[in-house]
Amino acid sequence: MKLVALIKKEFHRFFHDPRLIVTILLPGIVIFLLYTLLGNIIHTEESREMKVYLSGNSAVVEVLEQQIKESGDKVEWLPLENEEEARAAVKEGEATAILTFSENFDLFGEGARAGIVYDSGSENGSYFYGLVTSVLISVGMRFPIDVQTVNDSADMGREILTSLLPFLVVTFVFSACMSVTLESVAGEKERGTLSTILATSVKRSHIALGKIIPLSCISAIGAASSFLGVVLSLPKLMGLDAAMFTGYSFISYLLLFLLILSFVPLIVSAIATVSTLSRSVKEASAYTSVLMILVMIVSIVSLIVAQFGDWVVAVPVLNAVTAMGQILSGMLPVWQSLVSVGVNLVFTALLVWLIAKMLSSERVMFGK
Amino acid sequence: MEDLFTSEIVRAENLKKTFTLSRKQQRLEKTSLTRKVAVNGLSFSANRGEIYGLLGPNGAGKTTTLRMLSTLIKPDEGDAYIMGHSVRKEPQKVRDCVGFLTGELKLETFFTPDYLFDFFGAMHGVEKETLVKRKRELFARFGIDAFSQVKVGDLSTGMKQKVSLVISIVHDPDVVIFDEPTNGLDVLTAKVVTDFLAELKRMGKSVLLSTHIFSLVEKLCDRVGIIIDGKMVEEGPLEGVCGERSLEEKFFELYHGLKGEIV
Ligand SMILES: Nc1ncnc2c1ncn2[C@@H]1O[C@H](COP(=O)(O)OP(=O)(O)OP(=O)(O)O)[C@@H](O)[C@H]1O
Ligand SMILES: [Mg+2]
Repeated sequence: MKLVALIKKEFHRFFHDPRLIVTILLPGIVIFLLYTLLGNIIHTEESREMKVYLSGNSAVVEVLEQQIKESGDKVEWLPLENEEEARAAVKEGEATAILTFSENFDLFGEGARAGIVYDSGSENGSYFYGLVTSVLISVGMRFPIDVQTVNDSADMGREILTSLLPFLVVTFVFSACMSVTLESVAGEKERGTLSTILATSVKRSHIALGKIIPLSCISAIGAASSFLGVVLSLPKLMGLDAAMFTGYSFISYLLLFLLILSFVPLIVSAIATVSTLSRSVKEASAYTSVLMILVMIVSIVSLIVAQFGDWVVAVPVLNAVTAMGQILSGMLPVWQSLVSVGVNLVFTALLVWLIAKMLSSERVMFGK
Repeated sequence: MEDLFTSEIVRAENLKKTFTLSRKQQRLEKTSLTRKVAVNGLSFSANRGEIYGLLGPNGAGKTTTLRMLSTLIKPDEGDAYIMGHSVRKEPQKVRDCVGFLTGELKLETFFTPDYLFDFFGAMHGVEKETLVKRKRELFARFGIDAFSQVKVGDLSTGMKQKVSLVISIVHDPDVVIFDEPTNGLDVLTAKVVTDFLAELKRMGKSVLLSTHIFSLVEKLCDRVGIIIDGKMVEEGPLEGVCGERSLEEKFFELYHGLKGEIV
């Protein structure tokens, strides 16, 4: 009962204050507009002209052609006669890709394979690759496509996406949590309204939960807004089609979502912890910036160090960032993600317990 | 037994509280001591339906005492009983029968008086129907109806003070503990507070307040306890303590006796 009233109060404050709602939603909107604008400046909307060597035949080719025409681009199909020459042409940028289909590909029987060779460093190449994967998935292809790139580096678009997105997500989630939590916990302590509640017979653990639960929900809205802003505008920025994103399965989206969701209460309770310790909002924001720098360092470290051992799932923040990176690069670290989510929740619970302890500590609440 | 609890509503027995001083505080108070005895063996009792005033200079230990009585902090030694409940052993029960308030306004400005009343009612676990009834009664009695739907941040200081006073008794406590009730308030707002305290007395509640203002004690209090340096130096009914002199004269007599002339 008392917990419900505490939670309701936080929501009430939030949803009746248009300023707060804007603060929460704004980052996502700004990111989207900014990135889209940048994308438009960098990539002029010229129509593409693609040359693709084709070997074997499939109904997929027709679908591809139609899609390409619909987006105002052109494609020229060349028969694949000399593979060496064709590869050289792709490498030189004279052709976009080589697309191969095994015999009876459309029957989807045993041995049915599709293959693509492209230059991931070229914009057209990446675009065409994204298109092919999405069309293949849409016609129900369930087996892997043989992918080769003529350059040594892996798929450029994906690589940027992979390395940048976890970092961006972490940063935006953190700032969403920060704008909500600092005001609500440190602000209440500074103004002394928290001790008014302490003088009532409500349990300390309920006061802690009464903050963490609603603030996490509200921060999650902000995080989702920022995340959507990034996801919707990144392809535009990189000159890629949204088709690229359909390369990820439902499961990978679900895991990403869960990881972010478990990350939010963790950050909220970490900020709430330092806010409870601080005497003023100013002091709390100083500690919180240190916290933010730590979290950013952790996510940068995970970019540089590509491979961690399995122990990484036990480290909050690092576990989520690592798993996100793996998902975005096309892997499906199912158990790692789930364990990471669990670990984050355990740490959140620990922090909530710590906050409750601090709320009953004289030194923390009434110290001079 | 029963009689003891009903007439003697607050009883403090040998309360003691020592604080560890932070560096910053040592600098501020120009001392090299690391510990400070804020309350040093304080005993007193207050009866039902009375207003009891703890009088003392700055740093005497008034706030510390009242915080111990309202279970916000724990005494190092001794114990206090409110309505027979020990502040050490039954803090939850004590909180249910105590309303605690400090002179500064401590309500979140975003909410309306109406909302905050319901919220703090829920915090104290007051039943819905009881809450509705009490709200109607108290809001009418203290003239809050007119602005019950206005955000606290938009109210005048006097209105705000009324709201926080009323909210402190949302759970119908038998004892209201009030630290420096008129500190920092202008004359009009201070009048709101003193009227409220007198009204509480009429309602049969016991009030325990702290102050350094002599006139407030003389005007309102039935009993007075004079604290200096964490110790109770004189305690009893107002007339008994003062005798023929004014409270101010009595206080300085005690103070000089203890500390010599003030330089
Ligand atoms: N949390 C604390 N930590 C350290 N010292 C404290 C703490 N609270 C109070 N003190 C010290 O204990 C002494 C008594 O403080 P207290 O606040 O009880 O006095 P007071 O009578 O309320 O004075 P005032 O009129 O200034 O409010 C002071 O010297 C004060 O500095
Ligand atoms: Mg004080």
